[in-house]
Amino acid sequence: MDPLKLAFGMLLALDPELMSIISLSLVVSFTAVGAALVIGLPIGALLSSYRFPGRWAIITVSNTFLGMPPVVVGLFIYVLISRAGPFGWLGILYTSYAMMLAQFVLVLPISIALSRQVFETLNNEYTPLFLSLRTNKVNRVLVLISESRIALITIALACFGRAISEVGAVMIVGGNIRHSTRVMTTAIGLETSRGELAKALALGVVLLAIALSVNIASQMIRSKLERNIIND
Amino acid sequence: MIDKKINFIIQAKDLTVFRNGKTLLDRVNLDIERGSLTMLLGHNGAGKSVLLRTLHGLLAKTDGQINGPPAKRQKIVFQKPILLRRSARKHFHFVCPGCPDTDTEAWFAHAGLQAQMDTHAHQLSGGEQQKLALIGALASQPSLLFLDEPTSHLDYESTTAIEQMIHDAHANGTTIIMTSHNRAQAERLAQQVLFIHAGQLLESRAAADFFDKPTEPIADNFLNHL
Repeated sequence: MDPLKLAFGMLLALDPELMSIISLSLVVSFTAVGAALVIGLPIGALLSSYRFPGRWAIITVSNTFLGMPPVVVGLFIYVLISRAGPFGWLGILYTSYAMMLAQFVLVLPISIALSRQVFETLNNEYTPLFLSLRTNKVNRVLVLISESRIALITIALACFGRAISEVGAVMIVGGNIRHSTRVMTTAIGLETSRGELAKALALGVVLLAIALSVNIASQMIRSKLERNIIND
Repeated sequence: MIDKKINFIIQAKDLTVFRNGKTLLDRVNLDIERGSLTMLLGHNGAGKSVLLRTLHGLLAKTDGQINGPPAKRQKIVFQKPILLRRSARKHFHFVCPGCPDTDTEAWFAHAGLQAQMDTHAHQLSGGEQQKLALIGALASQPSLLFLDEPTSHLDYESTTAIEQMIHDAHANGTTIIMTSHNRAQAERLAQQVLFIHAGQLLESRAAADFFDKPTEPIADNFLNHL
């Protein structure tokens, strides 16, 4: 069957299994990206604004993790949260929480590294003003985040792209369990291995459509922010 | 010890700044009278901006002493205004957080910027941006104001408007230390002149005396080419 027809057929029929896969994919990725931005942006702002012991170590580690293979991240998290691991007592292995954690670990370095670069440029420009006004550290970080809000949309998009397309780590820690931890990418992997190429392609088309929708939505937010800034 | 006479708003003794193997300020001694308007002159790279920024606390001194008003009583306006990416009004409130709205409007009116209050600060013209930076600095009523070539990139009209604002601030009792590369402007505004060369303060005199006949040959040469 034509993958496009199959994809649209499944979407139009609101196939329950497909809907649950799509919603789980979005919930896992949005949660991971949201947490990575909330934690990563202030870290990026601090790294760009202040010199402190261990700063270069954090920068080096976050830059190294940018290229970390997802399966390796998945393996580490598996070891940590498996029953025999130090965090086994949490009981989150093969749950969506483990998948969120894996995606969070994968996108946190992106949010730190990219935001640090954005903030560094802005911080260099604003430092004399901050020093003159004796702006405290917290306000400095808040101003940097607020002033670079348009660039942060791009960072959020980059994080989302990495999270939603990730397969290795969520497969290891989530287990690709039907009706429980199956997301778009693991479902595509499964259908491909079963020889259901049309279904796999259909799921791929849906995944692309989701990525496109998120991109369009972020562009609209970006345009709105730009308009607001001009009319601010 | 620095002589803490009441009529000096800021004093520096043996002020030295050393960076990357270079001496940027070399044992500078100065006393700035409260309420005066002092023009800091010198060639490019002489150390004018370094001196202003060090006196204001933006650059750390390597050695020497500075005795001036508390940080919140001093302000600086840079050659290229540093403005946040928000409306002129919001930028103003950031640099003057306690200013009531009525004062805000009065300051914008003083600068002739009433119509631009809600314009994005980066969309203002160069002259308007510098006026915004200046009223942002003046609104908190500093006792000491540093101006680092505030009109260097501006046209005649904007320069005149800025000079009038500087004149008004000085008339209201603000002590001003500014740098300029414009001799006519320096002669129009200055009461005192500090001449700096290669990080050393070579002259500190009344403006009329300095422009009449500088003591140092290098200052004389500088004036002839200004």
